[in-house]
Amino acid sequence: MSPDATLVERLLRRDVNAFEELYDRHSRVVYGLVLRIVQHTASAEEVAQDVFLQLWRNASHYDGSRGPFLPWLLTMARNRALDHLRLKSERQRRRENQAEELPPVVSAPDFERGLDQKRRAAKVRDLMAALQPQQRRAIELAYFEGLSHSEIASALQEPLGTVKSWIRNGLLKLKEGLQATA
Amino acid sequence: MNHTDPFRELVESYALGALDPEERASLEEHLAGGCADCAQALEESRWLVSQLAYLAPEAEPSGMLRGRLIETVRFEAARDEVPRPRPKAVPLWMWGAVAAAVLFALYNARESRELSRIIGENQKSIAQKNEELKELQQELAALVRQERILADPESVRIAMRAERKDLPALEARWHRTLGIVVTGRKLPLPQNSRTLQLWLIPKAHGAKPMPSLTLRPDSEGRFALLVENPPDSPGATRALAITEEPEGGSPQPTSAPIWVGAIAAK
Repeated sequence: MSPDATLVERLLRRDVNAFEELYDRHSRVVYGLVLRIVQHTASAEEVAQDVFLQLWRNASHYDGSRGPFLPWLLTMARNRALDHLRLKSERQRRRENQAEELPPVVSAPDFERGLDQKRRAAKVRDLMAALQPQQRRAIELAYFEGLSHSEIASALQEPLGTVKSWIRNGLLKLKEGLQATA
Repeated sequence: MNHTDPFRELVESYALGALDPEERASLEEHLAGGCADCAQALEESRWLVSQLAYLAPEAEPSGMLRGRLIETVRFEAARDEVPRPRPKAVPLWMWGAVAAAVLFALYNARESRELSRIIGENQKSIAQKNEELKELQQELAALVRQERILADPESVRIAMRAERKDLPALEARWHRTLGIVVTGRKLPLPQNSRTLQLWLIPKAHGAKPMPSLTLRPDSEGRFALLVENPPDSPGATRALAITEEPEGGSPQPTSAPIWVGAIAAK
């Protein structure tokens, strides 16, 4: 069992020390992601606080046998941060199903296991930097701003079909690059 | 299978959350039909998308956040451990009523489940409202703070002139304890997703500009940036400046200042 999965198991027994340890292991990457999305330190702290409280209160939603912990936590952080952005711009619109806020746990592909977190982060950055600037921009608009294909096409003033291809091919290149590293 | 190909091409963008509503609905219907290939591809794509988080630079949250969280978690852990007080003695007739209620509930299992569902929905709705209320309270607190800074005669007024003649001037007010507010109207939107970033130019000779917050004007060109915790004091700062930067801001200016305002020595 991974160190993260062991700590999450201890959360189920309301172990505050385990929570502190998980926070210290992952708060920088979670806060960095949230800050990148909401662009405001006070809001980012508020969202990061929600993410870690969700973890504390809903640790049972994480199933360590299904997949690694960090991608699950980061997906939760991204969803929360994008919700925060949407809430700010469209206060009336609410998520209909609160359960959606806790993402599914997904298994990591075999090639993932050969890389530690630091090396993988550097690899992801290198692979994304190697994409065409517009292609990278399209993926970033979707990931960090939650924009759809048509919204991205309008923001970049490019044809919809081009944007779709950029995003799909860009993600496939990222996947191939990560596979090749393993 | 070939018939799944058009759907298979949508999976990566679905995991990214980028599909437009119509395509998203059609893929969800397809997935609900049990296509194992697409389900497998979706699992992989979700993992792949989670890796994009590494594009954001890591950042250190404040020690206060850690303190608040640990305090809340300790409180909840202690609360959950407190044994519930034993109920006071219940009269016999009440036991009878309880027994009748239990029998009634068992007999009406379907109604009971329905009731649980309604209670669950109500709880969700209350949680949503609470979250919304919290957001509103925070926005209100920021607005009140902004108003106090603007209204307090102790705030230092800083006129920020535009380097280009076609741009309107901005005005900043800096309160020693409440922070800085920079306001302006009819500002053009920066190109693409670039943003405006505030800088504090220190008095110390040779010191680098200190980065502060970023903000894009709204669609009508209004700009109101509140900095609750400026990285330095008015006494140590020579001027405020605003540059255009990539979204997320920069640790050092990457373009020439668009607006600059000197801080008068007191």
